[in-house]
Amino acid sequence: MKELFPLKQVMGFVFSLVLTAVALLVHFMDMSFAIGLTVLLITAFMQAGLQLIVFMHAGETGDKKTIYTNVFYGLLIALMTIFGTLLILVWDM
Amino acid sequence: MKVDNSLPLEYSTEENSLKILGFWIFLGAEIMLFATLFAVYFTLENRIGNGPSGAEIFEITPVLFETFLLLTSSFVIGLGIHAMRLGNKKATMVFFSITLLLGAGFLGFEIYEFVHYIHIGATLQTSAFTAALLTTLGTHGLHVILGLFWGLFILIQIKKRGLTPETANKSFIFSLYWHFLDIVWIFIFSFIYLKGMM
Repeated sequence: MKELFPLKQVMGFVFSLVLTAVALLVHFMDMSFAIGLTVLLITAFMQAGLQLIVFMHAGETGDKKTIYTNVFYGLLIALMTIFGTLLILVWDM
Repeated sequence: MKVDNSLPLEYSTEENSLKILGFWIFLGAEIMLFATLFAVYFTLENRIGNGPSGAEIFEITPVLFETFLLLTSSFVIGLGIHAMRLGNKKATMVFFSITLLLGAGFLGFEIYEFVHYIHIGATLQTSAFTAALLTTLGTHGLHVILGLFWGLFILIQIKKRGLTPETANKSFIFSLYWHFLDIVWIFIFSFIYLKGMM
């Protein structure tokens, strides 16, 4: 039975619950918008990285480099799209 | 077919490795799909017209249940893949079944949420904000619905054919998809709900 619950994944799950709890502080505690958003950015991207490395086995095979290049490229374009849109349409720059 | 026994079953042929890599590239496109939805949402979130704002309609309780169910299902499917690598067919099927049940639970809460929104007058036509919100949540929800059927069919295949290089490969690719949906949900949870209620 024990072999079915590898420590790495159990720890990954516990850590993801902790990150969720930290993110929730934003809702239950009184903090400024800037601090709250910083907390959310950190916890969300840490969660995503955790999933990628622990659960999606992104770095396990010879395709490691290609997979990470692909993910980072996707992320880069995603952030450019989102912040580019905000720059033009919301922040009016 | 050349089978490399030093690798896990799902990678054991060249075709299998290429399929996994191909799916990662598909996920890159999925990142972009959700990025455009987030861009739309962030642009329109304050355009509420005569409708309600996010702070008025978001409720923390169903969102917490949804988050917990999806996080747990993502963990359990990870255990399923681990069991698959150990060659334990029964445990793999049990973990995959639990994953799908948790996914169905998530979907139940999301459907409740949608019915609730429409009930209180936050429909797709109410304002730019509600349109962007429901489109973003709905796209994620549709992915989960698709995933439930996909997972169910894979479960049936494992039951019928056992853990072969083919079924293992399909299961692994499905697990990538499921984890990806969890990642998208984390961003929805953080930057739509929690940010909206701040």
